[in-house]
Amino acid sequence: MQIHTYDTVIVGAGGAGMRAAIEATKRSRTAVLTKLYPTRSHTGAAQGGMAAALANVEEDNWEWHTFDTVKGGDYLVDQDAAEILAKEAIDAVLDLEKMGLPFNRTPQGRIDQRRFGGHSRNHGEAPVRRSCYAADRTGHMILQTLYQNCVKEGVEFFNEFYVLDQLVTEDPETGLKRSAGVVAYDLATGEVHVFQAKAVVYASGGNGKFFKVTSNAHTLTGDGQASVFRRGLPLEDMEFFQFHPTGIWRMGILLTEGARGEGGILRNKDGERFMEKYAPVMKDLASRDVVSRAIYTEIREGRGCGPEGDHVYLDLTHLPPEQLDAKLPDITEFARTYLGIEPYTDPIPIQPTAHYAMGGIPTNVRGEVLADNTTVVPGLYAAGEVACVSVHGANRLGTNSLLDINVFGRRAGVAAAEYAATADHVELPADPAAFVLGEVERLRDSAGKERVAELRRELQETMDKNVMVFRTEQTLKEAVEKLAELRTRYRNVGIQDKGRRFNTDLLEAIELGNMLDLAEVMAISALARKESRGGHYREDYPNRDDVNFMRHTMAYREVGDDGSETVRLDYKPVVQTRYQPMERKY
Amino acid sequence: MATPVMDKAEAEAARPADSPYITATFRIRRFNPEAAAESYWEDFRVEIDPKERVLDALHKIKWDLDGTLTFRRSCAHGICGSDAMRINGRNRLACKTLIKDIAPEKPITVEPIKGLTVQKDLIVDMEPFFQAYRDVMPFLVTHGNEPTRERLQSAEDRERFDDTTKCILCAACTSSCPVFWNDGQYFGPAAIVNAHRFIFDSRDEAGEQRLEILNDKDGVWRCRTTFNCTDACPRGIEVTKAIQEVKRALITRRF
Amino acid sequence: MATSDIELTGSSAAYSPDNPAPLIEAPRARTPRTAGSTGRSRTNFELYGWVFMRLSGIVLAVLVVGHLLIQLVLDGGVSKVSFAFVAGRWASPFWQGWDLLMLWLAMLHGANGLRTVINDYAERDGTRFWLKMLLYAATVFTVLLGTLVIFTFDPNIR
Repeated sequence: MQIHTYDTVIVGAGGAGMRAAIEATKRSRTAVLTKLYPTRSHTGAAQGGMAAALANVEEDNWEWHTFDTVKGGDYLVDQDAAEILAKEAIDAVLDLEKMGLPFNRTPQGRIDQRRFGGHSRNHGEAPVRRSCYAADRTGHMILQTLYQNCVKEGVEFFNEFYVLDQLVTEDPETGLKRSAGVVAYDLATGEVHVFQAKAVVYASGGNGKFFKVTSNAHTLTGDGQASVFRRGLPLEDMEFFQFHPTGIWRMGILLTEGARGEGGILRNKDGERFMEKYAPVMKDLASRDVVSRAIYTEIREGRGCGPEGDHVYLDLTHLPPEQLDAKLPDITEFARTYLGIEPYTDPIPIQPTAHYAMGGIPTNVRGEVLADNTTVVPGLYAAGEVACVSVHGANRLGTNSLLDINVFGRRAGVAAAEYAATADHVELPADPAAFVLGEVERLRDSAGKERVAELRRELQETMDKNVMVFRTEQTLKEAVEKLAELRTRYRNVGIQDKGRRFNTDLLEAIELGNMLDLAEVMAISALARKESRGGHYREDYPNRDDVNFMRHTMAYREVGDDGSETVRLDYKPVVQTRYQPMERKY
Repeated sequence: MATPVMDKAEAEAARPADSPYITATFRIRRFNPEAAAESYWEDFRVEIDPKERVLDALHKIKWDLDGTLTFRRSCAHGICGSDAMRINGRNRLACKTLIKDIAPEKPITVEPIKGLTVQKDLIVDMEPFFQAYRDVMPFLVTHGNEPTRERLQSAEDRERFDDTTKCILCAACTSSCPVFWNDGQYFGPAAIVNAHRFIFDSRDEAGEQRLEILNDKDGVWRCRTTFNCTDACPRGIEVTKAIQEVKRALITRRF
Repeated sequence: MATSDIELTGSSAAYSPDNPAPLIEAPRARTPRTAGSTGRSRTNFELYGWVFMRLSGIVLAVLVVGHLLIQLVLDGGVSKVSFAFVAGRWASPFWQGWDLLMLWLAMLHGANGLRTVINDYAERDGTRFWLKMLLYAATVFTVLLGTLVIFTFDPNIR
């Protein structure tokens, strides 16, 4: 076991992690731990753009953007945070441009902008061009640009270091929790490394892999959320998960909302533009939860396409091929590669795909992690999809996630480094690596008969069946029961690879454990929320209930005296400043 | 050792006549330094829909047959660049290669990419590759005060370097280059592509320095224009053309 | 195992997680210590070499094709070539210049090409160095000898 000492340790090297690293490296001695190489993160899969009210092509301002974000999140958004997001969006985009990001340009040479779901002029009057983009590979460009600037700043990376545990010490008198560092597993050698750090920033991404049809990478297994949750810290709003309307049928690969922003239309088997029924003003550009539900409603009512009627079409055939080549080159290539379809002439079969976790580790607007509704954990920060600020509320608007990672990644990086400049190292707990070493040894030596792949398959099937776009008391209870069973079986899991070097078999087992923990939190949180709001739709409670549920869910792990684990739910008020909740129509 | 596959006859009998599934053989180059000093070929037979990806087949093998099979992967749709490997003797991304397109009636060979140290099975040491990338100053360099708003750039100037911005650093090009196979000191196509992306960016002011770096004896002059890199690029970047453009810039600068 | 052909040699059997085998190394890997963006010698040798290969190639195409035509095709072909024929041509400074240029360009072009091949294919530093030394020696020897012959050729020797 090796012990390293740094001022700031950043967990994850996607958009938020590298944005934080660029700031933190300038201000403190920083290490970035990442389980993948930096440019492998799923930020690169984001396509459509990054919202900012630059007003480069038409009138726009950050206040409209704030309103759209709040309304898009079905008023569960903390409005102070949304205001910061929309205001700082402008500088965030300009900063990226100055770092070298190759945005598409207007004829005047400014950053070009296009329409995107849920973004409107003057509080919902008409769609507005707010999304700054680089063809349909904006996320790729952001990831590359941030990595390039990390190289420029000389950021120190530990590649393929997998953070498995958060070290938390608790003051015996006040009960105040403090972060002491993290424990990481070096994939190449199988050694365990302890990183003592004054400040730790989690930027480890989402947890969508517990769904079967998902746009998420195989590596998005919620490791950050799970390590923090395991140490008694809460997770916020985990029941809210976004289903992106247009995933490639059965595969879940993302086809950007920008396709509809460029004029693409959703059609059912009769060729009808069905979104006109569900969102008369915004039509195909209504917010994602609305469109996903509309698609599934069409499918359920027998208007789905194909022999099994289980998908609808994204129609781009009326757009000129030059426009597709210039603005949507990657997604047209996906259709050709994976479906053998020519998007110039044929519509693309799509279905909603699990896409984005609105919930996560609760933080305030400086990126500081909360131990309860108000208390900050000194030295612990989070940003990006792993965190819940909450700027996305019950449903994230398209293009706001690339914004989130830049605005709050930057804020967390600055705050962490500034904290590290004033604070001292917290003493490491006795035997800091005990938990990780124990877990690694247990899995490696296990003679259990359960297989990781089988448990994961059952987990994904349960989640797809019971906790997806439509939920009811019954399906959620079924999910909770099944998850309890899977968690029991997980204790008896065995792996085949007993080696130390690049033991990905072992890592998949650990990732499965993390996903099972988080899936359970999600199902339990969803069961308790007896209303429909944004991405969380309960068929047995189809209306929003602002009286009882205008509040964030806070889930805590409780360990009983007998070692039994339960999830305890608490609630946190929503910050409302300018906007009173209204009915949400598009 | 137990056979990891169902008996072929049995498998075919169990399958209905109109099933889309086929039985494909994957011949994978294995290496585990914890067990043996030599690498060797191992065959796996899997039942799979030919419209699936090679990555799906590798997952099937890892999850159902042999958990020790080791490879990198993440996004599974050709964006992250983790799973470049040599499939039927050609560098490709496993997640962008459909089984039906690579003659599944014959055994499909899968090897680690060449020219980089093999660490286990299909995993190679990527550090030298990233070192070459870092050595070409792959970042925007500007002097003077920054403008308050964005720097202006015409759509044509933006278009000039569009092709090379698509690079995902998967190493498929560099590890397909015969020069690189024998001499890791060569910068390799990927590093040159990323230098090209900035040399031809109208906003950048360090083009001279990058050209000087690539004027080195291990720079662009080692390119033999075999076009292996262009063929290998999963993003369709015209890699050889980019290298030639850098050469031309060096010559026109000199004469 | 279906058709795996593991050769368990004596040494292989002993490897374990605690005693791993050496990795399969790639030749001459770049490291952080490889002189990268800084500290390299700034010369244009390779650039000039590259340009020389293209230009000399064009000139050589004319010289060599012309030479072959004269030697093998025109005026009865190869049967006419004799000591007297060579002596007759080298009496003219034009043909002396032609052959001298051809000798130098061909040797330098060929030597540079071979240098490239050695650089590309010789893995070990020592091998590369000695092969190149051998190449340079052979080139210098041939060029000098050829030049000497062209200028000191005596038609009346016997």
